[in-house]
Amino acid sequence: MASISPTIAETPAQEVDWTARLRLILSYAILFLLAFTFLYPFLLTVTTSLKTLPEINENPVALIPETWTLEGYLAMQNLNVGRWMFNSAFVALAITVGNVLFASMAGYALARIPFPGGNLLFLTILGTMMIPGIVLLIPMFIILKQVNFIDTYMGLIFPKVTTAFGVFLMKQFFESIPKDLEEAARIDGANRLQMFFRVILPIARPALIALIIFTFQGAWNDFMFPLIVISVRQELYTLPLGLAVLRGGLGESLQWNAILAGSLVTTLPMAVIFIFFQRYFLEGISYTGLKG
Amino acid sequence: MASGIKGQDREDAVAGWLFMTPALIVFIVFLIIPIIFALYFSLTDWNGISPPAEANWVGLDNYQTVLLEGGIRQSDFFKALKNTTYFAIGVVPLQTILSLLLAVIINQRLLRYKEFFRTAYYFPSITSSVAISLIFLFLYQRSGLVNNALEFLTFGAWEPVAWMSDARGLFHIILEALGVTLRDGPEFLRGELLGLTVWDWISGPSVALMAIMIMNTWTTIGTMMIIFVAALQDIPGSVYEAAQVDGATAWPTFRRITVPLLRPTIFFVVTLGLIGTYQVFDQIYVMSSGGPAKTTLTMAYMVYRNGFRNSEMGLGAAIAILLFVIIFVLTLIQRRITGSEAEQ
Amino acid sequence: MTRKWYKLLAFFLVLTMALVACGGQEEEPPAGADGEQDVPTEAPPVEEEPEAEEEPPAEEEPPAEEEEPAEGTGAELQLMGWSSSEAENTRLQAVIDDFNAANGNIQVNLNLVPDYDTRLQTSLAGGAPPDVFYIDSFRLPDLVDAGAVEPAEGRIEDPDDFYESLRDAFTYNGTFYCPPKDFSTLGLQYNTDMFDAAGLEYPNEDWTWDDLRSAAEQLTNEEEGVYGMVLSADFARWIAFLYQAGGEVANEDFTEMTINSPEAQEAMDFYVNMVLDGFAAQPADLDSGWAGEAFGRERAAMSMEGNWIVPALADGFPDVNYGVTQLPAGPAGEATMAFTVCYGVPADIPDERKEAAFEVVNYLTGAEGMKAWTDLGLAMPTRQSLRDQWLEQFPDLQPFLDGAEHARAWQFVTGFQDVLDTVNNGLQQAFAGTMTSEQVLEQAQEVGTEVLNR
Repeated sequence: MASISPTIAETPAQEVDWTARLRLILSYAILFLLAFTFLYPFLLTVTTSLKTLPEINENPVALIPETWTLEGYLAMQNLNVGRWMFNSAFVALAITVGNVLFASMAGYALARIPFPGGNLLFLTILGTMMIPGIVLLIPMFIILKQVNFIDTYMGLIFPKVTTAFGVFLMKQFFESIPKDLEEAARIDGANRLQMFFRVILPIARPALIALIIFTFQGAWNDFMFPLIVISVRQELYTLPLGLAVLRGGLGESLQWNAILAGSLVTTLPMAVIFIFFQRYFLEGISYTGLKG
Repeated sequence: MASGIKGQDREDAVAGWLFMTPALIVFIVFLIIPIIFALYFSLTDWNGISPPAEANWVGLDNYQTVLLEGGIRQSDFFKALKNTTYFAIGVVPLQTILSLLLAVIINQRLLRYKEFFRTAYYFPSITSSVAISLIFLFLYQRSGLVNNALEFLTFGAWEPVAWMSDARGLFHIILEALGVTLRDGPEFLRGELLGLTVWDWISGPSVALMAIMIMNTWTTIGTMMIIFVAALQDIPGSVYEAAQVDGATAWPTFRRITVPLLRPTIFFVVTLGLIGTYQVFDQIYVMSSGGPAKTTLTMAYMVYRNGFRNSEMGLGAAIAILLFVIIFVLTLIQRRITGSEAEQ
Repeated sequence: MTRKWYKLLAFFLVLTMALVACGGQEEEPPAGADGEQDVPTEAPPVEEEPEAEEEPPAEEEPPAEEEEPAEGTGAELQLMGWSSSEAENTRLQAVIDDFNAANGNIQVNLNLVPDYDTRLQTSLAGGAPPDVFYIDSFRLPDLVDAGAVEPAEGRIEDPDDFYESLRDAFTYNGTFYCPPKDFSTLGLQYNTDMFDAAGLEYPNEDWTWDDLRSAAEQLTNEEEGVYGMVLSADFARWIAFLYQAGGEVANEDFTEMTINSPEAQEAMDFYVNMVLDGFAAQPADLDSGWAGEAFGRERAAMSMEGNWIVPALADGFPDVNYGVTQLPAGPAGEATMAFTVCYGVPADIPDERKEAAFEVVNYLTGAEGMKAWTDLGLAMPTRQSLRDQWLEQFPDLQPFLDGAEHARAWQFVTGFQDVLDTVNNGLQQAFAGTMTSEQVLEQAQEVGTEVLNR
């Protein structure tokens, strides 16, 4: 955690010449400007969710509401939001744990173990990402029905417990790890499993954190897949699914404040988790240096 | 990959497949089998409503319809292919370069507030794509924020446009500014190729499509940046120290050391970019439904439209398979180019 | 290195447990009769131990019970639809609760789902259809041709009581498939303040195209960005003018397109010229997502939308003063469009279940159920026998209800989405001046012919 500020302290001040300083100032200017454009729409979402409907219609891009209201949030009061949030968290967590384990194992095998069929396997896995998911919905439903996964947590979790994205991500990361580490372990008589858990995984920390963030987020925001898994048991809805009900029919009076409030409720837990993991993420540099 | 003894090879083969097993079970049951289904559907006249077993086998008819037979479905297919390709050509390089630059900037050792910047840039990726699309509909209105900002930046020279309903192509606008129009341009512009006129092919992305492209770039930069930052952190500091001793300045260091070391990651980001852009769907679904004048009709949206709106799931599946082939070929090509497989 | 990993694992476990705890809490209060659809659950959802997810392939969760059709008596039916406003969702649930209370042996679950089309198709194709489901009149041909809908002919009480236009909307190839749940028609909304300011008389039933055009002209003030009318590049709007001009999309049995007729040309010219001459503008040009919004913002003095505009204006633009009348008459007289949804029963379920399903449908579209469903003033009753009573309650909505008398159904044949897209696309280009109205109709004729010959 202590990686950043000490780095600055360690650098002798006199070595920072003026070009470097200028570059730094320029960097800050760009970064803050960009940060603003990236955060502004989000801020707008927050404040718009607190406006009244007529006011939103009046001026949709004004940042500060004239009258503050919780109208948009009250639309959710009769919905089972707590339960849906639990479902989302539980499902996303289970999927993330599964991916950390299985996707990194598969990624490792594809990146590091020269086994017959590996390359073909990799291309196949990569290929599965290239079919538009929309065309797989009905086949997926048929299979889920065959294995009695419709309307169950298992149905929400199991098919996603390893994602092609996760395997691909981890494979690419493992490829950039120097090989000599494993050679050393091998000479010490470690087998593949030991090598993987004792040598590789610890080094892959930044990659794993990235995997955790992406997988969790992907599972959390997923819409189409839960849509077909959950058929009648609405108490098993995930948050995006549940709140989509709120959006109702298009073309009629769009309750912007309620829609945005709903999407915020969906988003905020993700944001908290991301900010939390930031800290682990930042440690990366010092850890990679340590080499196990 | 020539490694020593035979026993090692066998052990590797077993270990390799063992490591893959959990992933494989999931993939086969929930991805490969559905894909085989889809492949089968693409060879039938299935409507997507009745049980699929009732569909009739039609061979390659669906492929022929969209690729060869003149008519609305062919011209729609190539329109979608054209739009999607413009989309990818615009977005992939832009988001890759921007996110790499951002990652490098943010990874500077002397920089403070890293946590803040990283979080800020990642925010659009967290926000649900539906919410983002809705907000951008606001921003892109004729009197919306985007036009206001552009007017301000150009000191009033900017003519406000209704972004999401403007079907004019970028290259058409440029050509027309240069005095070339369809009516008095050279004859070959009116020639027809695969259901579209040459003039249509060279339209460039429409204003509406560009609006979605900008939005898409904006939302994915954060994700890509995170990946690059993670990869940059994997590069041992000693590599840079050595370069510094050699007296290399920022740009050569970046080009000769950072980029080659990032190859696997660049391959990853570009491939993801290709997959993401060629399959762009959510934003189209929420923001434009393919309009105006079909200039935001993308291939993935066309799959949906045929499968779930027009009772032609067989045709939709065929388009999905063609889309798969296109992305796959592009990925293989770019795998060559980035040379991600090259061993260090 | 291991220490760090334990920390991470510990974090996971704590988080999971915290979520289990709070998730359980939130769930305690039974959602009871507070309105929203709460699906009665036989078995409480299986809450796995947080540790269980460590080894997902383990099959320790008993598959939650399949929604096996319960045979014979004690049938539990699923009614699937899409959600509209919260008030309507709540009301529909109340109507169904009434039914459930009065019928011991048939219990109905209302299941309002997001992304309805996708969900419906998935469950139909997957062989697990709901027992009753919404069908939009435009989707009916697709579903019927796929053999998914059980004909309602002879199983519905007093079908002649439904407005003829609505019966037509759910009659395909001569068979009546499902009774209409409710409907909307297009009417003409006018901003009374803007008419007063311009010193114009309000529109009325006797208006013609010429009246509409000249009023729009006088109400337009391009400098202030205010137009006489808001028009969308939308087939579903233009088609009303087509019928008013005496044109038809195709011949009676849909074997030949007739959309390039002189009548259609007249309608297209009128519609497009309103925009080209600057008396009308599209929603996007008025900073709006749809026509109702442009009308609400007072950027347009008139719009032609259905009764859905009424709650939208009340919620979003409560200060706008406006009136409603019927669409103006064209050269061939009056016409408007009816947009309607029915309750369908799938063809692919056992007979006893169908019987039960039709019983539910008969209740919902019968006098009692229909009255309860429509007396919110949001949906309009599809039975003529309920007309007078309803109008007493909601006199302001009379123009919409009366539209049913000369409305045409929004229904064509399978595969017509391509024609729809072509006309919408053509209208956009005609408004932008890149296509002439002749070209739009020529193209529509061509694509339509291709669709009909498939």
